[in-house]
Order: sequence, then structure tokens, then C-alpha cells
Amino acid sequence: MSEMKKKVLQKKLPRPVYAALKNVVGEQWIYEQRSVVETYSKMSIEGASFLKKHEKDPHVLPACAVLPGSIDEVQAIVKICNRYAVPFIPFTNGQVFCNPTNQEPTLIIHLSRMNRVVSIDTQNMSATLEPYVDYAQLQAEAMKRGLWNGGTPLATTLCKLSSQFAFAGLWQTDLKYGLFNRNIVSVKMVLPDGDILETGSRCMPRAGDFWEYGPGPDLMGLQRSGLGTNGIVVEITVKLHAWTGGESFPELPAGRPSLVDVHDEKYDNPPEPLKNHKLLWAEFKDFESQLGAMREICHSGVAIGLNATGVYSAFYCSPTQDITIKRCKEHFFPDWNCYVILTNTTSDKQIAYEEQVIQQIVAEAGGTLLSSEHKPEVLEALRPWNYDCIRHVHGYRMNRKFYANAWLPVGPLDSALTVSREWKKALDMFGELDITDRGGADDTPFVYALQRGHFCLFETDNYPDPVLPDEIRRAMGFGIYGAAVVAKNNLGPQLMAFVNVEPFTSMFPEAGPNAHLFMRKIRKVFDPNSVAAPGRQVFTEEEWQQFPSDVKDAVNKMRELNGMAAVH
Amino acid sequence: MSYYDIKPEKKFFEKELADYRDSIWGCARCNWCQNHWGWNVKSAEYSEVCPAFHEYRIFPYSGMGKMHIARALLEGDFDYEDAPEVVKFIYTCTTCGACEMNCQRLQDKEPLQVNETLRAQLVRDGVGPMPEHKALIKSVKNYDNPWMQPRTQRDRWAKKLPIKDANKDRAEVLFFVGCTSAFDNTLWHITQNTAHILLHAGVDIGILGKEELCCGSPVARIGDRDTFMSLAKRNIERLNDTGASEIVTFCPGCYRSLTHDYPQISNAPSLRAKVYHSSQYFDRLVAEKRLVFTNSEPLRATWHDPCHLGRHCGIYEEPRRLLRAMPGMELVEMERIKDQSWCCGGGGGVRTAFRDFAQKTAVKRIGEAKKTGASAIVTACPFCEQNLGEAIDKMSDGMKLYDLTQLMVRALGIG
Repeated sequence: MSEMKKKVLQKKLPRPVYAALKNVVGEQWIYEQRSVVETYSKMSIEGASFLKKHEKDPHVLPACAVLPGSIDEVQAIVKICNRYAVPFIPFTNGQVFCNPTNQEPTLIIHLSRMNRVVSIDTQNMSATLEPYVDYAQLQAEAMKRGLWNGGTPLATTLCKLSSQFAFAGLWQTDLKYGLFNRNIVSVKMVLPDGDILETGSRCMPRAGDFWEYGPGPDLMGLQRSGLGTNGIVVEITVKLHAWTGGESFPELPAGRPSLVDVHDEKYDNPPEPLKNHKLLWAEFKDFESQLGAMREICHSGVAIGLNATGVYSAFYCSPTQDITIKRCKEHFFPDWNCYVILTNTTSDKQIAYEEQVIQQIVAEAGGTLLSSEHKPEVLEALRPWNYDCIRHVHGYRMNRKFYANAWLPVGPLDSALTVSREWKKALDMFGELDITDRGGADDTPFVYALQRGHFCLFETDNYPDPVLPDEIRRAMGFGIYGAAVVAKNNLGPQLMAFVNVEPFTSMFPEAGPNAHLFMRKIRKVFDPNSVAAPGRQVFTEEEWQQFPSDVKDAVNKMRELNGMAAVH
Repeated sequence: MSYYDIKPEKKFFEKELADYRDSIWGCARCNWCQNHWGWNVKSAEYSEVCPAFHEYRIFPYSGMGKMHIARALLEGDFDYEDAPEVVKFIYTCTTCGACEMNCQRLQDKEPLQVNETLRAQLVRDGVGPMPEHKALIKSVKNYDNPWMQPRTQRDRWAKKLPIKDANKDRAEVLFFVGCTSAFDNTLWHITQNTAHILLHAGVDIGILGKEELCCGSPVARIGDRDTFMSLAKRNIERLNDTGASEIVTFCPGCYRSLTHDYPQISNAPSLRAKVYHSSQYFDRLVAEKRLVFTNSEPLRATWHDPCHLGRHCGIYEEPRRLLRAMPGMELVEMERIKDQSWCCGGGGGVRTAFRDFAQKTAVKRIGEAKKTGASAIVTACPFCEQNLGEAIDKMSDGMKLYDLTQLMVRALGIG
């Protein structure tokens, strides 16, 4: 550390603000030391954040972090922020949308002390949670009662349910259970001015917490996927569903690894699917027939999950980066594939029946199920998914690079063909970054069939080297180009329809050419002092003016493509 | 594939922060360094695995936070003057390795190695370790043990026991005692029981007595690599000189040092003897019928995996097999075990510098043990025994703590 490098230091909160906050949470739960704010300043899955670090931009550093222990404390903190016009960002794990975007000293409200499962209502099949509760905690408690939340993201303990309310909520089992956002009964929120909002039937006197609609206009829709713009979730009640997998999960037959043998091959031999669950993998000769089979499976009404992982399985099912790269290069996993998750929820014979249905559909589409006769070594390598469609066990072995951005349009299944074609063009234009979702498979997007196939999500990701700014910039080029492609081809909005985030709100005419202006008015109502998560979902004019010119240009280009006037 | 596979051309104790640059920039913030492995979570209450994050709730205490701090220090975004608090964050870690375990499985990255390398850098830069650790280092340098005890006291535990002096007489098996239970007479039962059991099985054992040196684990874990490497080289030479073909130690810190840390020192000779943890060795003796448990004593007990034995070295099954083989023993498992075991709170220099935090972590573990319905916790580590024992004494609620050897001598009828 002898070499002199430019320091990056944060602005601090005015002393009266700090003193007021300290008075609320106590000295133990407020931090403004330089090393603390560092840990709240860098996102992990967004290239711009990494570039700011390379460029030594101090604006990504918050001024201070506070850790409230109760709803009352959250309220008190937010009121102080309003009194002194201090921007705040609610924060759980901070993998997405964590660091400040503006130059004002910003407060992080880290909710890590609010981590209790408040209650599980077995009669009404719901669970009420504090904001720092994650899927693994909920599932562990619900399973003991013969229930579960219907789906689990691959990052079981990463995802807090309150964050998913504020962002998205994608599961492996979306085919049957729908997105997380469709599984919420109610939320309790601290609004940006410090007031409390309750949604659903819990806001009716003595009605209880069983229905997502309140008595008349309900504000749930304005809050869902709000990225913290219109308030902080301090309690959330979610729906539960029947669970037939037993009260707890068994020990894995390969035993437990240790630090000295964690990469031993034996740990890449996960077990067969959980009792009452089965996973089927199908291979197809081309993308069209894959999508055709997926469409038929959606229409058939069987199965709880239907997804196509493309080359992502190379990341997910490989124990090391070397194996990941090797498998990508060798096309080890089928380029055109999908997997189906079956359960015995209604009867012990459900899986057997549904398997016959799937076999027939796959055969009619010219596909082949992976089996002991057809590519058994591939089926073996895909075994991590057996359990991971229910709860994370083995996978999520990414490479050592980072996830800089993705194209995430939604729409009917056939749109995947357009996404695939455009992705291939983009790869030819920008050049491949390390291994991408192309991965030698040319143009295979990840496809999730959601809500019985009424719409689908297509994902193509970029993994640049985090220490190489030029590579990160190139990845960001992919992202901006992807947004333009989505707009030009009338694909569903980027970042999923359920995250209505600027500048994307200003790109799509379907919501109305001036939807973003309407959202700004709503924000003004909820947040008169513009303190809540600034620069996230809905910008003020001032925040928009601070946006990088290339992003503004890209937005206006997309508006132009859609016959809309430019925004300035 | 090695645990130390980042820049394998360099041994671990030579590595610097810059060697981990790709890794620390690429931290995915997945937060699995704080959480119990998803599959194994059995309740909301016991779903976390990092004691420091669990207690303090802010990220600098987690593996992820250390990666961020390391990145900023490496790139010069701040220095120790701007952030003197980093020393506390970096040392409030028991080095239990749970963060590294989960990160290796998911992201192939090394938060514990990064934190240990940060410690080494703090020591080199003169801002680490914690003031409480300095006496420990001084003691290791002056007395070859961390407890400021004269060398002459090291073999007091062995008086009247028929054990060979390995400095003079060759023994087939060298019993490497380690400092803590050699000098702390409240832990002599472990040392003496181990010797009794080995002798009972007819094993030809010797000890180095006053000539034994600290294995170096305490100084390695707090970042004084120079002292560690110097001790290690002296130790290897001395141990090789005994001509023993096997070495047995019951201290997981010593075991990890001898088996995993010594090979990570450049230009050091190899240990010629094969090294066993006592539970491995006893397990073998039971399998060979050289030890037979005959006495039955009803006990419902739970096994606490010492981090350096279990997660670090993979010894999960041997102590469990021994317990299950004892007549009258009912072994019940806690929720967080083996690779996802909750640390006792005493490791990595934490008990020396942050006693309150160490004790709170122990209390949490004891609560988890109680939930199983067990009346006793069994372990095989002098540091775990010290830390859990202190908490159990304070709680005074009937929970008992045993070292594995205490139950073994009872079951063997040689107590």
C-alpha cells in the first residue's frame, strides 16, 4: 500500500441529523465510519456500479447506515429524513439497487435486525414476516406445517421476501404458482413521509389478514415492484400452498464437504428428486421445436414448473469455472432444452400421469427426454436441478466474473425467437465477453414459462471481468442496445413487466406516452420532500437532469422508435 | 482441486491481497457468507452461520463486507487513518470458515483467505493485531507458547504417566499435546485422558515435553506470518528428528496447522510422520478392537463440531462414530452441524480480544444444543471447551460439557 492512490471519501450527514438518528436507534446501531459505508456502496450485478468504483466516484458512498429494530424506529428515522431533507435507501442484502445515485449525503436504512417470522396462519394458509426474512427461513417453518410458499428463487437465503416485493419475484415453479408478486396478501409499509400504510383486508377493522384487496381503492398496486420509491416494507403477509415434500429435507447421500474437499467430485452427485417431486429434461433439435413443446406443455395444464436453461446449466451445474468453460465450449449441455417439474400434490398417481403427457408432447415436437438411454452423462450432470427447483442445494456455481447486466424481456413464448435472433446480432456486433449465455450455443436464451404460460421471461446475461473497465463498458453497451432492441421489436418491457422503472417507464407507449410524468406526480404525493430511494423507480426532473447523457440519448432513441416525443 | 487454488504457484503464507484482486472485485453480494446453506436450514431461528454478522448485523463483519473492505484498501480508496475501525472489523472474526465454505460452493471465492491475508497486511503495516493479541505474540516468541508460561511447566500434566520422552527414546507415535491443555490445568483431563486411552490400547507413545513448541496456529490466525513460519520450520525439524511414524494431537488448531498450514509454507521441509486427530486415531483403534467400550452410562448428548476440525479439515464422522459406539449413548444432532456448524465463538483470537462477543456466540450454541433435548454437549477442542465451558458455568442451567475423551474413559472403564 505504499503506492499513492486517489482516495474516495464520503460526505457526512449534518451533525444534528446524526444526533437525531442516534437518539432513535442508539449508538450501537448507527455507523458512519468509512469502511462501513464501503460495504453498502457497490452493487454486485450491475456494471455501472463497478465502473463508478473504477472511476473513484464518491457519490456511490452513502453517508451513514442505521439499523432500526422496530416499525416505530423505521417511522422515526423516515420522519427525521423528511425534516432534514436527507435521502434514504431501504436496504436488505443489497445485491441490486443499493448504492446512492445522487450527490446528497444519503442514509442507508438497513433492515437486518427485523428478521422474525411473525406468524404462520395454517387456517388461512399465510405467513407474516418481518422484512429481513428470507425464503429458506420461511420454507423451513412452513414445511413443518405441511405448507410452503409455492416457490423459491435459486438464491434461497439471499432473497428477502420484502425485497422481492419491491423488485420482482421469479421462481422455478412460476408455471403453477405465479410470480411472487401474485402471492402477496398484504403489506405494512412506512411511507416516505413517515406515515403507515396497510393494504388488503388487514386494513379493515377486525377483518383479519386473508385477502389482498382492501375496502375500495387499494394501494398495493402502486407499491408492488416499487423499489422503495413509495415506502419501506416493514411487514409482509404472503400466501402459502400445500406441501407434500415432508417436514424437513434429508441429508444428502454424498455427505457434507469441508474446506479441503469442497470441490471433490463426489459432491457433484446430488440425490434424486425429493419424494413427490420429479424433474424431466427434454432435448430438441432446434429452438422452434423447443418453444413449440413448451407452448403445448403450458396449455396442457400439467406440471408446476417449466423452464429452459440454455447454456446457463454450464454455470449452474459445474463445480468450478474451468469445468464451466469446458462444458460451454464442448456444447456439453443441449443447446435446445427444457425441464419440467412434476409433483404429486393432488394424488399419488399425479406424477405418473403427467409424465405420460409430457412424453407425448415432447415426442410430437420431435424431442427426446434425457434418460439412462439418451445422454445419461448429461442427465447426471444436471442433477443439481433435481432439488434446486424446490430449494437451493447444489447449484449457483457462477464463474469468477460478475453478472453485469441482462436482457430480460417478457412476452408470449414466440417472442423468444426474436430475442434469440437479436441477441446473436448483438454478440456479433459487440463481441463475446468471456463466456456469455451464448456460450457456444449461439443464441439460446433462458426461458421461463410464467403463470401457466400466459407470458414468459427470456434472459440473456453478460459476465465481464470486474477488474477490466473496458469490458464492463462493453457489457453496458449490450444492455443499452438490448433495451433498444426490445423497444424496436415490440417485445415486453425490459426488466420484467412487473418492475416499472425509469427510464423504462418512458420507453413504452402501452402505459401511455406520459406515464412517467404521471408516476412523478404520484411520487410527489407520496414523497413530497423527494427523500425516498432517489433515482430509482421514478425520477424527479432534477434527478433526470443528472443522468448520463448516453443513457438519456438511448431513452430518447427508443421513444423516437415508438413515435414518442423526446424527454429532456 | 485445492482449497488454495488461487494463484497456486504461490503458497498461502506468501500471498498478498493483490493475489485475490479478481476474487474481491467479483464478490457477488449473494450473502451466503452469512447464511446457513439453504438446503440445510431447519428453522428461522438458526438460519445464520456467521457469528459476527449475527451479533452486529452490519456488513463489515461478514465475509462479503471483508471482500469490500479488501477491495477498497487494495485500490487505495481509503487507508487506516481514514478508517481506523477496520482493525476491529477484521479481527472480530472467529475464522470459523463458514463464509468460505459457502462461497467456495457457490462462487468459488475465498472470503476467509482474504480476511486472513488482510490480517497479515495489518500486522505488516503495524496497525494489527488487536492490542490484546500482542502479549500472545510476545509470549510465543519468548516462551514458545501463547500463555506466558515457562517451558518447564509444559509437561507437568504428564507426571507419573508412563510415557516416553521422545527427545531421548524413539516412540512409534508422537503425542503432540499443544499449548492450551498442556498449561491450563483445568484442561489437563483432556491431555491425561488422551494419554490413558492410547496407553490402554497399547500404543507406543512419546511426548516432547518441555521441548514441544507451539504449533503456531494462534499467531497464524491473527496474521503474524513471520512468527508462524519460523515456528513451523522449527517444529517440522524437531518432529522429524523424533523418528515417529505417526503423530496424534487432540487440538484441532494444532491438527490444522500440522496437516494444512505447514504445507503452505515455502521452503519448508515436509513432515515425515502421518498426522492424526485423536478422534481419527481412536476411531481406528475401535475398528481394530484395540479399544472396546464396555461400560454403559445413559446420556443424551449432542456433538459440537469444532470449526478447525470439522469444516476446515473434514473430520465429521469419526467422533460421531465413537459416540454412537458407546453403550448408553444417545447422540442427537443440532440444526447446524458439520460444514454448517455454528462456531463456539472462541477461535481466531476472538476470545482473547472480544470476550463478550465470544461468550454471546457460545450462549447461542448452547441454546441450540438445548433445543435437541440433550443434557450434554460433547466436543474435542480445548478452545471450544474453554469458551463453551465458561458460558455454561455462567448459565448454570444443568447443561453439561464433556470432552470426547472424558466419555471415552468412562465407556472404557479406565476413568
